[in-house]
Amino acid sequence: MEWFIANASFVGGLAATHLSISVGPIIIGSLLAILLARVIPRRFVNPARTVLGAIYAIPSLALFVALPALLGTSYIGPTNVVIALTLYVITSMYFSARDAFSQVPLATMTTSRALGMNSRQLFVHVELPLAVPGLIAGLRVASASTISIATIGAVVGVRDLGYLFLDGFQRKIPEEIISGIVAVCVIALALDAGLWLIGRLMTPWRNARVNRV
Amino acid sequence: MCDFGELGTWLCAEGTWTGQYGLGNLLVEHLLLTVVALIVAALIAIPLGMFIGHTGRGSFVVIGLGSLSRAIPTMGLLFALVLLLGVQFRELSVVLALALIALPPLIAGAYSGVTTIAPGIRDSATAQGMTTWQLVRHVELPLASPSLIGGFRIAFIQVVSTVVLAPLVGLGGLGFGIIQGLALRNFAQVTVSAVIIIVITIAGEQLIGLGQRRAEARLVAPKGLEKP
Repeated sequence: MEWFIANASFVGGLAATHLSISVGPIIIGSLLAILLARVIPRRFVNPARTVLGAIYAIPSLALFVALPALLGTSYIGPTNVVIALTLYVITSMYFSARDAFSQVPLATMTTSRALGMNSRQLFVHVELPLAVPGLIAGLRVASASTISIATIGAVVGVRDLGYLFLDGFQRKIPEEIISGIVAVCVIALALDAGLWLIGRLMTPWRNARVNRV
Repeated sequence: MCDFGELGTWLCAEGTWTGQYGLGNLLVEHLLLTVVALIVAALIAIPLGMFIGHTGRGSFVVIGLGSLSRAIPTMGLLFALVLLLGVQFRELSVVLALALIALPPLIAGAYSGVTTIAPGIRDSATAQGMTTWQLVRHVELPLASPSLIGGFRIAFIQVVSTVVLAPLVGLGGLGFGIIQGLALRNFAQVTVSAVIIIVITIAGEQLIGLGQRRAEARLVAPKGLEKP
C-alpha cells in the first residue's frame, strides 16, 4: 500500500497508456466481429470457427512478435499489440455475436417481415436490439481479457500496467507487482460494470415492471 | 521484414538446436511445464467441479472464479508467485502459477458438464439402483466429458500463453528465443521461436478440439435409436 501511495501518479500514467491501447481494439474488434457474424455465409461457418479458434489459441507474446514478419511493422512498440488485441477481440466476440443473433426468436423476425419491414429495418429495429443482452455478455468477456492480455505488451516495450510486473520483478518489489495486478483488476471490473449498465439502459423492456390487474 | 539470409544463418548456427538453450531442450521444457501444470490442475479441478455440480453446493464459487480469473493478469500472477516464494523455488512457483491459471476453466467445464445433464437421466440411474459412485462414474463422467474437454481446451490456451513468459523469471521454454532475441535484436531467432510456438499451440488446440468432437459423437444415439 505504501508503495502504491508513493507512486500513485506513476501508476496513473501507466494506467492511462493501458486504457489507450486497449479501448480501441475492444471497440473496433467488436464491430468487426459483429460484421463477420452477419456476412459469413452458413456454409463457411465451420471453417471460420476453426480459423478464429486457432487465432484465439495463439499465445499473445508469440503473436506480438510474429506480426512484424508478416506486416513489416517494428518489433518494439504498441502497433503489434494493438493489432493483436483487435484480433483477439474479433475471435472472442465473433462466437458471442453469432449466438446473440441466433437467439432472436424466429417468430419475432417473421412477424416483423409480415409487417412490411425491409432487411435494414429488421436489423436495426428488431435483430440488433434483441441481440443486445448476448452482445453485451460477450463484450464483457472480451473487454476483461483484453485489459488483462494488454499487460504482456510491456514485454515488447509498451509502458502500460504490465511494466509494473517487469520492473517490480527486477527490483524485487512485490508491492509493485501486486499494485499492477490490482490496478488491472480495478480497470477490468470498472469496464465490466460500465458495460453492464449500458446493457441495462439499452434494453429498458427487460427491467420494465409488469403491472398485473 | 524478415530477412531470409539472417534466418538461414541463425538456423545453421551452432547452439540453435542443441545444448541447454537449444530448441530441442527448450521444446521439452515448454511441453513439460504445460503438461505438468495441466495435470496438477486437473487432479484438483475435475473432482472439485464435479462435486460442486453433483451436489449443487458452492456453485457461486464457480461463477465468481470464472469472471475474476479473466480479469487477473496471468503475467502478474506468475511474477508475484515467483518473487514471493523465492527465486530458488522458481520451478515450483511457475508450475503453481500455471496450475492456478488452469483451475477456473477446468472447474467450470466439469461443473457445467454435470449440471447440464437432464435430471431424468440421473433419476433413472438412481431408480435402477446405482450407487452415488456408480452414478458419478458411469453416468455423470461420460455425459460431462465433452464439456470437461472444452474446459481443458481453454485451460490449455491460458497455460501455454503464460508458459511463453517463463523465461522472464529465469526458466526455459520456447519463449526463451523471443525474450533473448528481443534483447539481442536477433529478430530471426524471435520469428522462428514465435512460429514454432504458434504451430505447437494450434496443433494442441486442434487435437483437444478433435477429442471434444469425438466425445460428443459418442454420446449421440445410434441411428434408429432416437426418440420412439
